[in-house]
Amino acid sequence: MAAAGEGEGAGAFTCVSSKRSRQKRRAAVAMDTAEPRPSKRPSFPPVAAEALGAGKSEIRKVPVPANRYTPLKENWMKIFTPIVEHLQLQIRFNLKTRNVEIRTCQETKDLSALTKAADFVKAFILGFQVEDALALIRLDDLFLESFEVTDVKPLKGDHLSRAIGRIAGKGGKTKFTIENVTRTRIVLADAKIHILGSFQNIKMARTAICNLILGSPPSKVYGNIRAVASRAAERF
Amino acid sequence: MAAVKRLETCLRVAGAAGARPERFLSVQDDLAADFRTLTKALYDMNKALGSKKVRGGPLKELVIENFDDEQIWQQLELQNNTVLDFFKKSIARDAKDEDLCLLADQEEDSSDAGTSTDHELEDNIVEVETDQKSVYTKDRTKAKEKQSKREENIQKCSDEDSDIDFDIEALEQQTKTTKETTLKKKWRKSIVDDKFFKLAEMEMFLEHAEKENKEEEEEDINYFEDIISDDEDEESEEAKVKPVKSSRDLTYKDFFDPIDDNEDLVAQDVEDDQEDEADSAIEEQNEESISDIEDMNETMENTRGKDASKKVTFSLPDDSETEDITEMPLEKDVGPSEIKSSFEKRQEKMSKKIKSLEEELLEEKPWQLKGEVTGQKRPENSLLEETVLFDHAVRMAPVITEETTFQLEDIIKQRILDEAWDDVVPKEKPKEEAFEYKKRIILDHEKSKLSLAEIYEQEYIKLHQQKTEEEENPEHKEIQEMMDSLFLKLDALCNFHFTPKPPVPEVKIVSNLPAISMEEVAPVAVSDAALLAPEEIKEKNKAGDVKTDAEKTRTDKKRERRKKKLRKRMKLREKEKRQKLLEKKQPEQGTTLSKKAAAAKLKKLTKEGKATLLKDEGKDKVLKSSQAFFSQLQDQVKMQIKDATKLKKKQKQQKALSVHKLKL
Repeated sequence: MAAAGEGEGAGAFTCVSSKRSRQKRRAAVAMDTAEPRPSKRPSFPPVAAEALGAGKSEIRKVPVPANRYTPLKENWMKIFTPIVEHLQLQIRFNLKTRNVEIRTCQETKDLSALTKAADFVKAFILGFQVEDALALIRLDDLFLESFEVTDVKPLKGDHLSRAIGRIAGKGGKTKFTIENVTRTRIVLADAKIHILGSFQNIKMARTAICNLILGSPPSKVYGNIRAVASRAAERF
Repeated sequence: MAAVKRLETCLRVAGAAGARPERFLSVQDDLAADFRTLTKALYDMNKALGSKKVRGGPLKELVIENFDDEQIWQQLELQNNTVLDFFKKSIARDAKDEDLCLLADQEEDSSDAGTSTDHELEDNIVEVETDQKSVYTKDRTKAKEKQSKREENIQKCSDEDSDIDFDIEALEQQTKTTKETTLKKKWRKSIVDDKFFKLAEMEMFLEHAEKENKEEEEEDINYFEDIISDDEDEESEEAKVKPVKSSRDLTYKDFFDPIDDNEDLVAQDVEDDQEDEADSAIEEQNEESISDIEDMNETMENTRGKDASKKVTFSLPDDSETEDITEMPLEKDVGPSEIKSSFEKRQEKMSKKIKSLEEELLEEKPWQLKGEVTGQKRPENSLLEETVLFDHAVRMAPVITEETTFQLEDIIKQRILDEAWDDVVPKEKPKEEAFEYKKRIILDHEKSKLSLAEIYEQEYIKLHQQKTEEEENPEHKEIQEMMDSLFLKLDALCNFHFTPKPPVPEVKIVSNLPAISMEEVAPVAVSDAALLAPEEIKEKNKAGDVKTDAEKTRTDKKRERRKKKLRKRMKLREKEKRQKLLEKKQPEQGTTLSKKAAAAKLKKLTKEGKATLLKDEGKDKVLKSSQAFFSQLQDQVKMQIKDATKLKKKQKQQKALSVHKLKL
């Protein structure tokens, strides 16, 4: 803009292009040399880890509650191995802060690996099995949803306990049934519920659990999820 | 003298015959004979005395003995035809002769002429019989039965006479007076009059026609005749027919009145007419007409601001033109001197149009253009005359016409022939097969052995396996096979020690069925899996488990009770329906049932207390012995006492209660 002003001030009107446009043109030229320009959508190759971040390593910290301390210790190797070997990240457990810290390093190729690793650890900390949590690393489109029983319906005391009991079922069979039918994993931690799975399946499981909380008998819930699941299966 | 005497006798006979005309209603043979003899007498007389100029028929006398009426007529016809020809010629000659004048006395009225001239004619007949006027006698003798024709002749003669009997001087006086007097209204005006039609003219014409057809009225004054004034007298004369021209000489002016523009021509025509006329009466007419025209000319010159329109009128009265002038104020005043230019005319039209449009705009609009109009604001039934357009939001029901019904019938007939009925197919509840049931998702109530990752892994593999299978091109397969066979053959040919490859099974069986179903196919082992699951035999209860009475919760018990009651209710309703149907169809059976129903009803009513059964206490039984009677009586009395005591007790109790309360 300043350049433009100068140009005008000089008297003779010369068309001065702004910096931005010049840069765009340069980029376009570079792109042209690299590959033939696509007609509609511009394609950008994935940015190298070094380009972004500018050399600094990122850290993610996952706090560990006391009750999960022992399982973490027992399953450390199983956690540690895929993160370091497959994702090329650095991981440690900070004893003072009781956090699991994950850090990128020079070998890290994929930036999204960090988030994946963080999610994986988080899932384990919430209560999921390592093998189930491992699916988070392997598959892109798995998610983690958490909600509370009181979110669905404001229950107190005995009612709350009964609702939780309904969700679990006798020996956990209701929970297992839902898991099997919807291909998800459910963690029932007192009043909190965590569901791990793909988006559609999470939805199915959530609906089932909400029905149970609201009071429908498990047989009814079975019927519903069965119907829904069969329809979903037919579609694929 | 002898002839005269004979004539007198003839007259007497004729008079006698005609004296009582009522006899003519029936056939009178003797009278007919009289008439025949009379005819013969006259005929013979005529032949004997007839002049030499008049040459009649060849027969010298009329033969009537043994002759038919028809034959007598034919004889007369012979005579008459020759005589008539002669007389026609003579009359024509005489008519042209101007010196001849047949004027006799002056008549008062042409209408009365009939009566008076009748007498004259008779006189004439009597006086002049040997003259040329014996024509009249001949006419009389011939046309005895034809009364009307004779009258016509008389009428015509009378008319001509009346025409001829005019006093010339009187007429001349009249014309003078008319010259000086201004034009007066000569016709009575009526509402119906217009360009072509004048009511007064029509009346005159009709009267004239009536007169001609009127029967003879001797010496009676016609009370319905108008005593018309002098002017009208003239007009009545004018109304008479113009002198007969031969058809070849008729021209336009004979039919139509002259046009205003051609007044000169009119004058000329009038003069021509003048020349043609022989009679002075007609001359007088022309004079009058001339005078009229002259007057008209004067008036036309004087009052020029009047009608310039051409008119076509019939030539009856000459006053039609004068009439137009008098009726002028009804028409528009367009001065003939100011001939309007085309531009002016156009301007006029435009202004007229503009005026009319302005009026239209200023007027109140008709109800059709007033927007939303309710029933009160428009006249009654006005919508019926309007064509109203509707927007149909819904598809209209089809109009049933004959054609549509025929079409439908055709379709029906064709369907019947094709036997393509649209019968309702009964729906069946789909029964699930065991196989399909197993295919459904099995609910596993245990913790899954596979982890989530493994599950997804398996899924992924499944998907991709299918893909890889599909990707194998069938063509490639074919090519591979062909090549294999070829190479095998070549190897066999090339090598001395050729060992053929072991046969490879070409068929690749890939089955995605679960292992359990695979095992079922084999009949070797009997597995439980082959049997139907309990759910397949009996559908599982929605609630899930089958409970014993001890296990049932309160809600379960209530639910069952409700269901039971519902079932009973439905059954009862169906039963009632069936009963009603039965009653309707078979009333005999219905009565038996109704008996039962009646018994049931009775029981119900008695239970409810609405009705009490009359018990047969055996009072009707005939009491045979006195002992029986008295014992019965005693029993009755006892009962009554018991009841009474009971009542008393009850009352006492009640009283006691009330007393108790009162004390408190």
